[in-house]
Amino acid sequence: MASYRKKALAVAAAASMSVALAACGGGSDNGSNNNGTKSGEATKGGTLTYYIRSAMEHTDPQRTYVGRDITNWSRTVYRSLVTFPISEDAAKSTTPVPDLATDTGQSSDGAKTWKFTVKDGVKWEDGKPITCEDFKYGASRVFATDVITGGPNYLLTYLDIPTAPGSDLPLYTGPYKSSPEGKAAFDKAITCDGNTITYHFKKPWADFPLAIAALHMMDPYRQDKDQGDKSNYQIFSNGPYKLDGTWDKQKGGTLVRNPNYDPSTDSTDIRKALPDKIIIDIGKTSEQIADQLIANSGADKTAVTSQSIPAAYYSQITGDVAKRTVTVTSPFTDYILPNFKTMTNLQVRQALAASTDVTGWVQAGGGDKAYEEATDIVNPAVKGYQKDLFPGGKGDPEKSKQLLQSAGVQMPYPITFTYPSTPTADKMAAAFKQGWEAGGFKVTLDGVADQDTYYTNIQNPGQKADVIWGGWGADWPSAITVTAPLFDSRPNLTKNSNGQDYGAYKSAEFNALVDQAQEATDLDQQTQLLQQADKVLAKDVAYIPTDTAIFYMLRGSDVTGYMNTAASNGYPDLGPIGVK
Amino acid sequence: MSLPESQLERLETSVPVDVADPEAVLGKSPTQLALGRFRRDKLSMAAFVVVAGYMIGAIAAPFLNKFGVIDPFTLHQNLLDPTLGSVPKGKYGGISWSHPLGVEPGAGRDVMSRLWYGVTFSLTIALLSSLVAIVLGTVLGIISGFTGGLVDATIGRLVDLTLSFPQTLMLLALSATGVALAARYLPGNQSDPFPNAFYEILVLGLFGWPPICRLIRGQVLSIREREFVDAARLLGASRRRLYFKEILPNLWAPVLVSFTLTMPAYISAEAALSYLSVGIKPPTPTLGNVLVDSINYSSSDFTFFFFPALLIAIIVVSFNLLGDGLNDALDPKADR
Repeated sequence: MASYRKKALAVAAAASMSVALAACGGGSDNGSNNNGTKSGEATKGGTLTYYIRSAMEHTDPQRTYVGRDITNWSRTVYRSLVTFPISEDAAKSTTPVPDLATDTGQSSDGAKTWKFTVKDGVKWEDGKPITCEDFKYGASRVFATDVITGGPNYLLTYLDIPTAPGSDLPLYTGPYKSSPEGKAAFDKAITCDGNTITYHFKKPWADFPLAIAALHMMDPYRQDKDQGDKSNYQIFSNGPYKLDGTWDKQKGGTLVRNPNYDPSTDSTDIRKALPDKIIIDIGKTSEQIADQLIANSGADKTAVTSQSIPAAYYSQITGDVAKRTVTVTSPFTDYILPNFKTMTNLQVRQALAASTDVTGWVQAGGGDKAYEEATDIVNPAVKGYQKDLFPGGKGDPEKSKQLLQSAGVQMPYPITFTYPSTPTADKMAAAFKQGWEAGGFKVTLDGVADQDTYYTNIQNPGQKADVIWGGWGADWPSAITVTAPLFDSRPNLTKNSNGQDYGAYKSAEFNALVDQAQEATDLDQQTQLLQQADKVLAKDVAYIPTDTAIFYMLRGSDVTGYMNTAASNGYPDLGPIGVK
Repeated sequence: MSLPESQLERLETSVPVDVADPEAVLGKSPTQLALGRFRRDKLSMAAFVVVAGYMIGAIAAPFLNKFGVIDPFTLHQNLLDPTLGSVPKGKYGGISWSHPLGVEPGAGRDVMSRLWYGVTFSLTIALLSSLVAIVLGTVLGIISGFTGGLVDATIGRLVDLTLSFPQTLMLLALSATGVALAARYLPGNQSDPFPNAFYEILVLGLFGWPPICRLIRGQVLSIREREFVDAARLLGASRRRLYFKEILPNLWAPVLVSFTLTMPAYISAEAALSYLSVGIKPPTPTLGNVLVDSINYSSSDFTFFFFPALLIAIIVVSFNLLGDGLNDALDPKADR
């Protein structure tokens, strides 16, 4: 049941997730890939149901950070300056196109200054025009780190605002309360001239349009609608749909047409907006969703879901049901990492990597429809991916034993492995245990049943596990949003938390390469530096990549234009989907 | 006016009996009578045999595991089909001579070994929780019934209070903290069997005593009015002697019956709690956590779902039948 573990991924989402590419139909040859993608006529009208298992933590644009939600909100309610178009071609669907702006932005001063012009005639759901000030206000909310939590915080380090004395955080602390100096600095960093908005950065940000399209942090926000944390589940739309009534955290909500949306300011390459109504249904388990979609009756005929089919249901996916499935390689990569506080000996870590049975892990998780073996923490679809960085496969217990022997440690070497526990994850962990024990380790499994606190636990600097499970997806398709946030010790390691650097990894060599990559103005040069940095991680065994999750999704028979695009991180893309 | 004891004895022995050895008939104690009644009840005897079989199996499993007869932990992933969600190759859950009940999907561990080993853990949990509940219930029931007054009222309210607590909710809400606390003092971490089992047993037991306490108190209320209790009291027996030497031996019938009836309740409770991920965690098997994993496979690998469900059903039904049989045998006048 991949879906169970996806919950843990969704928690990672809180920490960071992502836009990244998802190549379609990786490795599957059963002919069911994207069957019926172009089936049926694209007609307007009808009601589409979108099944989601667990509650969204936020619907506030500046706080949205879950791969599934980012693009679906883009397609329905939250338009941005630039966004990703609908396309089955991964490269095309992750190349930004103008949305609320007239173009994809003009950079100057070595990518330190970016300028956008807001289109005329774009309106909020109450009919008022979207102004440059709304964009500026939206960006200002990111700085209120005590209120607007959970969202991406790249702006904090990039925007040209001096840091507060004696702190790493900016002087400006958001629209709710800030010192006049902070406010002045912010007003200088983002300026409005009529319909033109200009951003000034401290350091070059060559892929800034990618970041805008991939996240919602730069979205406009109406100041008079902002109630801080109370607006967490408010949806104030500027897209083709608006929320009908209020959002129910446990159940979801219904999107209906927004009368103040003008299609002439938009493109059907971005949103087709076919259904009259979109019901977002939260709370059913993956098993319930699979049962209902296999049965395919009533409203389920026009339903899609973000949940993968649980492995236990694979044998029911035959004949007509199989024609309604799609297999997509997700942008999320899972990995395990040694705790550098306890596994200080390099040879012990190398032994761990050598005896890791990735094949057994993947098979215990449901086989090749659930996971694909990974050999790099960078997803294959992300720039900077290196094939064969790690060996993968069944592992080599003999080599592991030799390494442990030459390390001169006591054998069997005792280790504890912590991971979010589900019946499937427990079996996957048992596969690792068997491999490691063959390689000379003595393994204690520590499955954490409370998945909501899993990441909080492993971020605790005092946590005792020797080997830790983690999952990550790139924020935008560049390795700079993978290895840098996960292994750069400087922003991560504090007294109270390990941040995303769960294993407390510290390397001056790696940090230096990350700095060089961030300063690079040329994307190819940046990629090269990041690949070098990734090699440093592999040399130190800072992590061991395990798998890339496969999305194996079912839909109703009356869904048209069904597509899982790279823009929507491999989830069903609401841009083109309609119903018969 | 009651008969002097000397006369009673004489009367009894003088009754003419038409048996070869009159002493044998006369010597039949209430226990022997009850046993005789129990033996004649075929259904109860069958239930007893099944329960005894489970018990022997449960005791044997750790040794069988040690000597490699059963192997609940080794993966056999070569027996699985990776294209179909790693369900076993072949029909009926991969049943073969080396895996008589098939292998589990995903990891391919031997189902028979896991269930056999799981019985040990499930029965241990049920047994220990029952013991906690019975000991607490009996002791408090005796004190409450015998003492009366304020003590009785206090214990009575305590029973009401405990009964009104939502037990499952408590188990769930406190499980993380409880297990963490237990893990601090017991060997192993929070997903090891010891701390988890300790917590589960403690909470199940602590919430299980009130019905037993009420039952025992009722019995004690009638026993304490009997002459031998008065006699003991007049002879200056201590409270402790009264409770445990005079009254307790007269209570073993209801205690035994409630024990055989709490056991199956706790076996099913263990399975239900596994579903809510409280209790012993895999890779250590219990009937509950094997069943939980198998539920989702009820359509794609029915065999895997069938055997754990069957084993739990058999043991629960057997224990209940045994309890009823014992109740009938020990208390034949009870109206049911």
